Amino acid sequence: MIAQIALSLLLGVVLLYAWAQYRRSPIVTVLSCAVSLIGFYFVWFPSHATRVAELVGIGRGADLILYVWACISLVVLLNLHLKLRTQHELLTQLARSIALANATPDPSRISSLTEAQTSQPRYRLADGPRPGQTADQSA
Amino acid sequence: MRDDHFSSTWVVCPAYNESSAIVSVITRLRQAGHDVVVVDDGSSDDTRQLASTLATAVVSHPVNLGQGAALKTGIDFALAQGADVIVTFDTDGQHRDSDIPRLLDALVRNQADFALGSRFLSEPLNMPRMRRILLWGATLFTVATTGLRLTDTHNGLRAMTRRGAQALRLRQNRMAHASELLAEIARSQLRYVEVPVTIDYTTYSLAKGQRTGDFVMILLDLLAGKLYR
Repeated sequence: MIAQIALSLLLGVVLLYAWAQYRRSPIVTVLSCAVSLIGFYFVWFPSHATRVAELVGIGRGADLILYVWACISLVVLLNLHLKLRTQHELLTQLARSIALANATPDPSRISSLTEAQTSQPRYRLADGPRPGQTADQSA
Repeated sequence: MRDDHFSSTWVVCPAYNESSAIVSVITRLRQAGHDVVVVDDGSSDDTRQLASTLATAVVSHPVNLGQGAALKTGIDFALAQGADVIVTFDTDGQHRDSDIPRLLDALVRNQADFALGSRFLSEPLNMPRMRRILLWGATLFTVATTGLRLTDTHNGLRAMTRRGAQALRLRQNRMAHASELLAEIARSQLRYVEVPVTIDYTTYSLAKGQRTGDFVMILLDLLAGKLYR
């Protein structure tokens, strides 16, 4: 009984966590909820677990529950991986902001600016292909 | 901008430890009259110093983030400079600056927002067989997932209008950015066109380029990107 209550509490925490994650990743929430609800059921009806375990070719119900826990761990691992990605995206934005803030182009090197002074567009589409160029073969 | 001329064209060159190739690449682009922004992606060699003497501007990531992140930074920079057209160009020497006018022509002639280089519309030079098979697989994958009708999905030479660049939401930092960019083009529903370009396969560019195992990582990155908002 003590073990059942302890496991149920842990599974409840997993459910709460899954619910809190819904806005960020619905897939993780759905997977976590499914796995922990199955866990709940088997914790309180171990004989059913044994029956299902025998049905799918696993010897004991306890082993099946162990596998369910392994599944939860994998889902949590996936969620952690995805969270790391989000962190990395933030790092990217930060690094990009720093890079762009420190970049100061030398106006004298910008061709378009220099040519704007002579009011000549730098690139103009000619009526036909330019010398040394084939006609447009684009798909 | 859709017009018969572009007054401000910026070439974005992402660079990571490219000190042996960058000088000739940037010199040729500058001689052709292009504004070039080199995005140094946290190189540990003297790529940044070499680029700063040649390029119109150098933007430096404080840490290495990946080619996709470097492209996005370069595109953001070019947009901030008021670019009408942005060209992406690899810094390992595999692209030819003479292909850029063709891309710009294709944008105007087809009233397109994206002109994508394709090595398979012209005769590829010295392409290893394994590379050909991998690219063929990548093309099938892209056609299946985005519905775009393309012949070459991993070509770093592209041109896009300002409107096209602004429509892209790029989040993939590493090699999966090429597939993501195409998915974004499909999502934007803007017009795209493929243009034949030549890729020069050298020992150096092949060593710098993607390896077979990278394609597995690209698939995993794309999958993870789909799982998370």
